[in-house]
Formats: sequence, C-alpha cells, structure tokens
Amino acid sequence: MRLSRAIALASLGAWLTVIGAGVAAADETCNSPYIAKLIKGQEDYVYVWALGVEGLGDGSDKLVTIDVNPKSKSYGKVLGSVSVGSRGEAHHMGLTDDRRFIWAGGLAEPKIYVFDIASDPAQPRLVQTIGDMADRTGFLGPHTYYALPGRMLVQALSNTKDKGGVTGMALYSNQGQFIAAYPMPTTDGGDGYGYDLAVNPRKNVLLTSSFTGYDNYMRSLGDVVKDAEAMKKFGNTMVAWDLKAMKPKKIFAVPGAPLEIRWSPKAGDNWAITAAALTSKLWLVKEDKGEWQAKEVGTIGEPAKIPLPVDISITRDGKGLWVNTFMDGTTRYFDLSNPEAPRQTYSKVTGKQVNMISQSWDGKRVYITSSLLANWDKAGSDNEQFLRGFRWDGRELKQVFEVDFAKEKLGRAHHMKLGSKSLKS
Amino acid sequence: MRRAITAALLVGLAAVAAAAHEPGVPPLAFEPPAPGTYTLHRIMTAPDGEVLDLDGRPHRLAEFTHDRITLLALVYATCVDPDGCPRTLPVFDAVRRAVGPGRRAQIRLVTLSFDPERDTPAAMRGYAGRRAEAGGGVPWHFLTTRSTAAVTPLLDGFGQDVRSAVAPGGGRREISHVLKVFLLDPAGRVREIYDATFLHPRTVLNDVETLARER
Repeated sequence: MRLSRAIALASLGAWLTVIGAGVAAADETCNSPYIAKLIKGQEDYVYVWALGVEGLGDGSDKLVTIDVNPKSKSYGKVLGSVSVGSRGEAHHMGLTDDRRFIWAGGLAEPKIYVFDIASDPAQPRLVQTIGDMADRTGFLGPHTYYALPGRMLVQALSNTKDKGGVTGMALYSNQGQFIAAYPMPTTDGGDGYGYDLAVNPRKNVLLTSSFTGYDNYMRSLGDVVKDAEAMKKFGNTMVAWDLKAMKPKKIFAVPGAPLEIRWSPKAGDNWAITAAALTSKLWLVKEDKGEWQAKEVGTIGEPAKIPLPVDISITRDGKGLWVNTFMDGTTRYFDLSNPEAPRQTYSKVTGKQVNMISQSWDGKRVYITSSLLANWDKAGSDNEQFLRGFRWDGRELKQVFEVDFAKEKLGRAHHMKLGSKSLKS
Repeated sequence: MRRAITAALLVGLAAVAAAAHEPGVPPLAFEPPAPGTYTLHRIMTAPDGEVLDLDGRPHRLAEFTHDRITLLALVYATCVDPDGCPRTLPVFDAVRRAVGPGRRAQIRLVTLSFDPERDTPAAMRGYAGRRAEAGGGVPWHFLTTRSTAAVTPLLDGFGQDVRSAVAPGGGRREISHVLKVFLLDPAGRVREIYDATFLHPRTVLNDVETLARER
C-alpha cells in the first residue's frame, strides 16, 4: 500500500502551520489528535463516503470528491468518485495519522477500503482492501477508524456469530496488517456494544460508546421501533479504557445509545461530550476527584418526539457544539461555555433528513449530509440525499451550495472528511 | 530465580521513580500501567537499509535494530520544536541513566536523521556530543544516510511522513513531521510507537521492562 516516494519539497503556498509538531490538539475539530496535518485554512475538498443504491449509477458504495473551495471554477461540483464495486452499507471513514490515506468501510460487511488521498488529493485511489477482520476477530461492521501512531484502531458494531450488538475493536498497522482484537467488556456492567471511540492521550484515556448490532441496523427503523425486544438491544454504556494497556477501567451507564464522542480540543480541557440518540440527551464525561465520571448535562429538542441526534461536531475552542437531529432535519448549535450546562442558542431545519455534520477548523464552514442508514432513511420525497455547504457567521447558517446525490446518481451521502491540495505528497 | 526477578524489578522501580521528574520533559498526566501487566503487540518489522555512522562508515540499519531492545528516534538535528525532535534527547538521557546494570547489555538507543543533506556524519557528531561516547552504559548510536534516496525507504518502512518546506519569506528550511519514536524488540519488530505525549522516561522504562520480561 505504501508507495515509495521522495521527500517532497513543498512550495511556499503549501507551507504548513504545524512544523515538527508533536500531537496536534485536534484536526478540523473532531478527528484523532494524532493526525498530523491540520487544514487550518480553506479546505479544497470534501470527501463523502456514499452508500450505493440499487439502480442508481453502478449501485455500489463510493468515495465522492467534491470541490468546496469558493475560488475554484468547479466550486460545489463533483470532481470524481471511486466505486468499490459492491454495496455494503458504506458508513464511516477515518484518516491515517499521516493523513495520506482514508480508511472506510461498510456496516454490512467486514471489509475495509483504503484510499490514497496524498498522491492526488483531487483524485483519490482505492489502493487496498482489508478483508480479514471477521476471520481475525469475529467482529462485523467496521464503524469508527481512529488513527493511533502508525496504527488504526477500528471499532466494529456487530459480530458474525449472532449479528447482535456484542462486538469489539480491531487494531491494524497503517500497512493493513492485523495486530490485535479488543472485545468490548461484557462484565461489571458492560453490555459489549460498541459505536464510536475517541482518545485523550494526555490522560491516557480511550472512551467508547455503544449502539446496536447488525440485526437492528439492517432492519427498517419502523420495524425496529415497533419491536419491543429489538428496542432492548441498544447500547446503554460508555467505557473508559486505559489507552496504554488497552484495558477497560470504568463502565458508565449512559442509556439510549450514546453515539459520537468529542473531546474538547482546547488545550488543558479534559472532558468529552456525547449525545444519546434514543433519549436525546447530552452527556459529559469528565474527571472528578481523580475518577472519570459521566453525567447527563442537557436535552436536545423534545425527547418524547425522538428527534434522534445522530451526529455532533465540537468547535476548536470547545465552546460550541453542532447537533444534527435526523427525524426533524434540524441542525442545532449549543453554547458549551459551561460544558456542565450546554445551552441551545440556534436551530435551523437544514433538510428533510440530516445526519452527519462537519465543520472547518475556523468554524466558518459547515457541511451536512443526509443519510443515516439505508434502511433507516426516510421514503418518498423526504428521502433527500445531499451534501450541503453552509456559511456560519456566528448567528446564521446560510446555504452556499448543494450536491444532489440522487440526481448525480451517487447514492446516499453519509460520512465526510476534508481534503487539501497542499497535502499532496 | 524469584530473587533475581525481584531484584530486577526493584532496580526498575527505582529507575522509574528517578525518571519521574526529568528536566526538559513535561510531567506525565497519568499513572502508566505497571511493567508486565499489559501486552506490547507486534506492530511491524523494522525496515533495513544502509546507514552511516559518525565516521561515515556504512552499516546496515539491521545491525542497530536486532539482538537488543532498541529505542529508535527519527529526527533532524536542526529541529527546534520543543515537542518534536529535541524532546528525544532528555528522554533518552533519562532512560540511559535509569536503566539498571542488569539491563544495560539488553538495550540500545538509536538516533537516525531523516535530513541527510544537512545531517552529515560530521554534523551528527556535533549533534551527539558526548552522548555518543560508550562509557560502559547503554550504547547510543547516532546515524545518518548518504542521501534522501537512501533514507526514504527507511522512512516509508517506519511510516514516518516528512515534508520539507521553506517558511514564508524565504527563511530557514524546516521539516514538517510528527515525532515518532519506536521501541523494537530484539527480533527487530516494532512493539510501540511513541508520540510526544507518551514519550516519557516512565512509559519507556515500563515498556522496556515489559519486553525484557518476555524472554
């Protein structure tokens, strides 16, 4: 996978703001702190990992590259896409620590696709497919790809044995070699479920959250909600791990499927926040009296209406949090100046269904996609599929472009990562 | 046997305590797990290729990555970022001082430059100073290569991404990279990769002790 290369002599324009740096505080606010190359200026590309739809284009999952530089002639347009040639419920992706590769995968299969985004950031290439996760670990549905130094820690959602929610994490080298498996804890209050993971290296803490298994996420949402037994099969825990030892240290009761985990990127902050999808609550994980604690600190919308918070994005100073709620298509902003008491200060309907939300380092640009899961997305005219770009001036979100993924025959738009011409190497 | 292990452990614990407050190294904000209570997995095999010692003599890098536990830093000598290459020196100094007599023959330190154009053998000798002297303790090898072409496969093999750039205004040439220090077992396999937050004498010594106990 790793291509032989010479050390690139970069131009002045490619001058990076991080020179000889250690661990970066964060990358575009929500990536692994081990990722080296921050895009602190204008990003050139948004890479969208899209679910294939039968009858739409080639029907396969694909990585779509979109030009998002307002100074470009092709601003807001699709530059290209790389199909993986199959449909496996494309979901999330992650950058390697050197930001030369994107790892992406699907929830319906144990495959991991590796794309080279460094040789030509405008035209990613599929360079490797890792297919041994199920055989090595028994885990199914790779979800989160989290860069560690020289390695990728992959959180799965399910398992191949019963396709329930008991799962674990798989560790790979950046070269795609399997290293180790770490099952989610099933004792001492652990439910064995997994979803997201996020690291605070300075505190040697890895946090994990919990969702549900293949049996639920591959069914229609309507069926799941009506099935009392199925509704019992959602994660209700978070786990604090000793990162160095990769051992669970403490299990927190966090009911209602806690999903994305965001550590505050602000230097000196040592807290993380998450949103529980089914209870529509914000939870804070913070060290208190020498021990990590999780506590409910806020409410998102009206929980009785199940707005379904599906993604959150924290600002680089840790003082603001975007929250997307899928069911009401609403994007909300919370003031996190006091993380113990988040306060909603803004909301806007940004689509008939909205899922992922990402922001630029300076917070001035916000990107939103539409798809949650192939079988959970809405139907008919509510099934919008898009990437929408917005400007945020601190008071108002203003849409500046849209890529219609259905019209472009690209599929369902899900996870996003930002790219830059300056990262060519 | 048990007495020997206990003695080694005591030496190790004393060393770790001595390394807890090392000048030039930010304090750890956590208590690292005790040696032997965790697993250092086999991440990858260290690459091999030609390197030059301080006299300009060619060697294979494998000579410096096998048969001992090896702590290997990839650096460039003119780096001034306090969280970058300069961090390796006080950490390595502390490790060298803290390793007990019973472990010294099992450990080596290696500093390998990825800036061969500026870091010639002579330049590396100046960078190393007295650290390159054997002195009966843990050996510390300072290495460079003949050219960018020679070092590039080594960097690829270690997964060390570097970019050379000139500051706006045409100032000095800097090399953009993220600090990585590698812990290798005697078979030349990478068992840990330290970033700036985990690169601390306490974590390194615990890892060295963990590897040493595998034997």
